[in-house]
Amino acid sequence: MIQKKICILGAAGVGKTSLTAQFVYSKFSEKYLSTMGVKIDRKQVEVGNTSVNLMIWDIHGEEKYKKITTSYLRGASGIITVIDGTRPDTVPTALEILERVEQDLGIIPNVFLINKADLTDAWCIPNDTIEELAQHHQSTPVYKTSAKTGEHVEESFLKLAEMLIQS
Amino acid sequence: MNTNHMPSIIYQHMAKHHIQQFAPAWIKLEYDTATIKEVGGDWQHYFHKQPEIGSELHASCEILFGMLPITESFELPQVQLIQNQYTDISGIRHQNTDWVLFSDVTAHTLQMQQYQQASNELVLLKGQLKRTLNRYVGEEVLDRISKGDLQFDVAGERKLISTLFVDIRGFTPFNERHDAQVVMQTLNDYMDCMLPPILNEAGMIDKIMGDGAMAVFGVLSSDKEAVYNAFTAAKHILSSVKKLNQVRHSHDLEQLGVGIGIATGEAVLGILGSHDRRCFTAIGSHVNLASRLESTARVGEILVDAKSHQLLGEALIPTQLELKGIGKVTAYSCLHDILVYQYDI
Ligand SMILES: Nc1nc2c(ncn2[C@@H]2O[C@H](COP(=O)(O)OP(=O)(O)OP(=O)(O)O)[C@@H](O)[C@H]2O)c(=O)[nH]1
Ligand SMILES: [Mg+2]
Repeated sequence: MIQKKICILGAAGVGKTSLTAQFVYSKFSEKYLSTMGVKIDRKQVEVGNTSVNLMIWDIHGEEKYKKITTSYLRGASGIITVIDGTRPDTVPTALEILERVEQDLGIIPNVFLINKADLTDAWCIPNDTIEELAQHHQSTPVYKTSAKTGEHVEESFLKLAEMLIQS
Repeated sequence: MNTNHMPSIIYQHMAKHHIQQFAPAWIKLEYDTATIKEVGGDWQHYFHKQPEIGSELHASCEILFGMLPITESFELPQVQLIQNQYTDISGIRHQNTDWVLFSDVTAHTLQMQQYQQASNELVLLKGQLKRTLNRYVGEEVLDRISKGDLQFDVAGERKLISTLFVDIRGFTPFNERHDAQVVMQTLNDYMDCMLPPILNEAGMIDKIMGDGAMAVFGVLSSDKEAVYNAFTAAKHILSSVKKLNQVRHSHDLEQLGVGIGIATGEAVLGILGSHDRRCFTAIGSHVNLASRLESTARVGEILVDAKSHQLLGEALIPTQLELKGIGKVTAYSCLHDILVYQYDI
């Protein structure tokens, strides 16, 4: 069995903890409890014939005065970059974090999740932005997810696991 | 400060209070490996059973997977090893010895959590408010279009319009000093002073920007000239803000000021975007001018450009300004007292 560490990054309140809880425990809560520091969860997934033990680092949100320390990312094989589909300003934050991470670790497998897809009325990420994200380093998977309904959550984590095995 | 000079009784006293609360535990590793050489301190606080000498540290502390050997010193702040217990983990490389130090920072972290939560909630609430208002504004415009009240084609129509920018002064520092509930309430109170005067004067709110708004006059039908509507709205905004400040003053609450910029010119009007996210927009060089005038305006000041002044025919005070990205312009000022001062004699 292979062990892989992945980190979930993004602005505060985009749904990093909720996505992890949905993926690992199939649970969702409307209540917002801001993550301090980092919390680690595990889940075993099957990619083809290989079992992968994912160690998921749910890191606190990036804020103006509280940047994410890249030491959390030591030893990470992949990242999930989360954007809030109802808040366009979480896109530049996501890209900034990603750039910092890549300066430190080099380019490693990444998927973009644009979360809160269930809030269709409030959705405000134009398709152009989604296409631009998909062009990141030639090609990066982008998913519209909902931690609430579970839409595309499992699929996106599995996609990353698959990328980890291939790289 | 050099702690060597501390009398030992003082040092011990401080150590007892300050070091013990962190329940430190340390593990010495064989240099440049993950192999445990020594275990010290309060290890029971972090491990179910004592990590075995000679074993690999990440076997008993899984989260260090991928981090050992310590190639350079690192800090992992606030790691939740157990639900609601926070540990700072440091990897220290010193004189050919590697150490991993665990310290319990739960008390401090829980305290910080409250601040962080408040500030993050504010960010989410602000996003919500902005969306609600924008949607309301957007719907109103689309509604009027469907009633035939408003007419322009998607390709864009040219029209003489007046654009008004208004913004709350000092809102960012206010925001940082107060908790989310208070900030939202305050923002709502000031928005209540700013938006109705615009709507009453046939203004259309084009954008809400956090602590300010942009409005255009001359698009919706009105029996007055656009610039006159804009200027009247501006004066009403200042008098509403003044009233709000009087109330806040009497409750010992902090008062905030607003500044306003107005400019008039030809603009292209149109609807941008696809059917699910259509928004009205005005594009013209005077829009930028109005925005610059607003950022130059002092608390309680309305600054209008030369064109607006000429059409208004009101006696205003001319001032020479150097505006970023625009250059030298003559603007006209109208200043009101909107803050309530208390004079102690
Ligand atoms: N409707 C909806 N709400 C969501 C979704 N994901 C998260 N939320 C809500 O958004 C808020 C923030 O979610 P969290 O998962 O705590 O966000 P986070 O990114 O972990 O936040 P930080 O730890 O502070 O950075 C909570 O109130 C969640 O219930 C989603 O997909 N749909
Ligand atoms: Mg979180």
